[in-house]
Amino acid sequence: MFDSIDVLKPALKKLIGELRKEYAYASVLAVADDTRSWSISSSGRSISSGGWIGGTGFVVRVFDGTGCAEYSFNEFSEDMIPSVAQTLRTRLAAQNAALPSGVRPLPTPVPADEPAVLRKDAVFETDPRELGDEAILERISAVREKALAVEGVLDAGANLSYRAYRKLFLSENRDLDQTVMWTNGHVFALAPRGEELKEAYRSCSILGGAELLDSLGELAVPVAEQAVELLNSEPMIPGEYDCICDPATTGMIVHEAFGHGVEMDMFVKDRAQARLFIDKPVASPLVTMHDGNAVCDTATMWFDDEGVLTGDTVIIDRGILRRGMCDTLSALRLGVAPTGNGRRESYERKAYTRMTNTYFEGGSSTLDGMMASISYGFLLESPFSGMEDPKNWGIQCMVNIAREIRDGKLTGRIFSPIVLTGYVPDLLKSVSMMCPDPVTEGGGFCGKGSKEWVKVSDGGPYMKARIRLG
Amino acid sequence: MTERIIEALGRCGISRWRINEKVEESAELFFVKHELDTRRIKDTHKFSVTVFRRAEADGKAMVGKTAVELIPSMTDAQIDGALNGAYYAAGFALNPDYEAPAPVRRETVFKAGELASAPLQQSAGKMAAAALAADTRKESFINSLEVFCHRTFNRVISSEGTDVSYTDAVCKGEYVVQCKEPEDVELFAQFEYGDCDAASLTQRVGEDLRFAADRARAQSILKSGSYDVVLSGVNLVTVLEYYAEKSSADMIYPKYSQWKTGDDVQGCSGGDAVSISLDARVPFSSDGIPMKRLKLMEDGRLSAIHGRTDFCRYLGIEPTGEYGRLICENPGSASFEELKSGPCLWPVVFSDFQMDSFSGHFGGEIRLAYLIEDGRAVPVTGGSVNGILIDAQRDMVFSRERYSSAFYEGPYAARFRGIPVAGTAD
Repeated sequence: MFDSIDVLKPALKKLIGELRKEYAYASVLAVADDTRSWSISSSGRSISSGGWIGGTGFVVRVFDGTGCAEYSFNEFSEDMIPSVAQTLRTRLAAQNAALPSGVRPLPTPVPADEPAVLRKDAVFETDPRELGDEAILERISAVREKALAVEGVLDAGANLSYRAYRKLFLSENRDLDQTVMWTNGHVFALAPRGEELKEAYRSCSILGGAELLDSLGELAVPVAEQAVELLNSEPMIPGEYDCICDPATTGMIVHEAFGHGVEMDMFVKDRAQARLFIDKPVASPLVTMHDGNAVCDTATMWFDDEGVLTGDTVIIDRGILRRGMCDTLSALRLGVAPTGNGRRESYERKAYTRMTNTYFEGGSSTLDGMMASISYGFLLESPFSGMEDPKNWGIQCMVNIAREIRDGKLTGRIFSPIVLTGYVPDLLKSVSMMCPDPVTEGGGFCGKGSKEWVKVSDGGPYMKARIRLG
Repeated sequence: MTERIIEALGRCGISRWRINEKVEESAELFFVKHELDTRRIKDTHKFSVTVFRRAEADGKAMVGKTAVELIPSMTDAQIDGALNGAYYAAGFALNPDYEAPAPVRRETVFKAGELASAPLQQSAGKMAAAALAADTRKESFINSLEVFCHRTFNRVISSEGTDVSYTDAVCKGEYVVQCKEPEDVELFAQFEYGDCDAASLTQRVGEDLRFAADRARAQSILKSGSYDVVLSGVNLVTVLEYYAEKSSADMIYPKYSQWKTGDDVQGCSGGDAVSISLDARVPFSSDGIPMKRLKLMEDGRLSAIHGRTDFCRYLGIEPTGEYGRLICENPGSASFEELKSGPCLWPVVFSDFQMDSFSGHFGGEIRLAYLIEDGRAVPVTGGSVNGILIDAQRDMVFSRERYSSAFYEGPYAARFRGIPVAGTAD
């Protein structure tokens, strides 16, 4: 797969050699990308590829006397080595000359460039390219029909998307090569109430291929039923309640409320309160949080976009914050080891510290036991939005449904939409029960600030906590 | 490369197609406080080729389309393979056939201005300097800053004979301002300009530095209840985008929106009747339609439907192309000071303010708001706004003060009555 990278590899190695004559460090990340998406709804059928997050191209990183600089481009051949070097030299000189007065370089040691060689290939059961457009559209059309058959549904839609990519990272001492395929899908349903449309949505994901279609089919009826159910939802009565979070809601809390605050480029900028809490309690002893490759999902990779090998990073160990996750530049600035979390939206963008697969470990409680322990509270389901606040650890997460629990039983009353607010450590310290078997889901993308979208997964088990709802 | 693609389309027997060419150059600067984190430059050249395949299904004329991205380094065999694959796939994504936009041939439209003509490194340095120049306060400061200066050449060619092109230039970015005392807080903001508008950026950053200082002394004293809420700047724009979304062919064709031209979609009763136009940010749409300003709403009634070619054709209206700028033409019936008089809540920074066009809900978690009572404005933080525009639009009142950005021109603020707010001090 992606043979063009093999053809260009000798020239890319020569480019590194040429750049090393001028710069203290030089590396290149080459990306070959293949994406495709199939969708069906009342808007019609569509197949799209290209123009999506990702893309085929190259990014060179060098260190000169001013620090780190990068050049992204998508045309390259051996003949172009002198022009790439010349463009970099000329424009960096122009940029250095145009910097605002008083600006100094952020002190950053040159990367050590320890030797490493790696080759990993994608693993999947059913290659969507071999299954073909016709068969995939038929399968997602059947998913839609199942959802439309639920009474009260105005429209429903289904989508399947995959991304297969090969990344080659080369520096003087590193030669890393990986091919990855992930697939995700979603189902949505709309039900009308006057001018208002109630929407339900669920997604599924896999580090693999079109075998995901089976999971997609199972979402159709529950999603459609949820949209209809939402027609009878009530506005939330603001207050603090005992809550059970479903695995997806636990995942949103892991990712949005806490995960962004332990991205260590935020430590460099003094933007994260977590920096002051290393080796201190931030959560209940029931909480252990991981990021990385211990689970296989859409963000699993073997090295990051800066050529650092990935692994399993334990962020919170039984309630104690042990460390954050880190990209290369931040690690150099902080004097710590990088964790393989330097990720780019594409070869065209800067690398930042980003999460991968982030989740809470399971515990030993049962869902029945959790329900029985609540005299009045809510079961929270279907998260749809979240925003980080690493500096102040404020929570803003939104879920589509809160199911009322009274005396250990669901009453049938539902509330929507629900805003979760509060102080992150208060919420995490209030965690009193965890079910076994964490579940991760990677149907979405994660932004940094308002951009830089990368594929992530998050999750955990059913979790009981005290949460402010509005 | 364009000629190679057209030849390949011929070899593949593809008679209906569109090529969108984009050449992009950028200069990007990243700062931590006043220290330089990273410099980046970019050169890309891409071709997005959309191929259309006609077919008949149940006696109806149908068309399928798919797009592929091509780059100049691809061989002829690779280009042929990509186009053949796309054409084959298009046969399975069939929708009712529609007529392509009428062909248009124009000379390249060149964007004028400093950003479009000066070296991008110079522009990036100038805009970074403009942001950093606002950093003069004692209590609040710039924590981090990112500046992106992009310049593009765009060309649209189609099998129907369209051949239009234009250049564009954009400076955008984001920054975080911080205040450490009495509480350590930060605020995040974004900007986007079509030219090197250094003075506006300096003013914008300065205002946010003042907000950061207020955020640091803001208290979590907001009680849950119903408030008159004043929304301003980007938050008001987010709410007004409801009208552009609900009137788009993308929403109307699949019946997600029931709006029809002539409908009273606002139901104004005691407030300002909304008048909106849509304007484009570039001279041609993605399928080569010359963009014209469109009157969308007049006194609360829908004047037009807008959107992409296929959905407009299905609805029997002339395609308008995609718009990127909303003009609210209401002159406003109160000054901003009058708007804020009387008890009200003026949220200025949310963590993530959202408008859901399906449900009509708007809201978000409050990072900084001013609770205005008895002539005093008390900075508050925490809690959330959760309004329903379908109700709140009836008596909203606009300010006479104006606000302008790359995406909007119109009143700076509007007051909405009786909006549910979840507090933190119940």
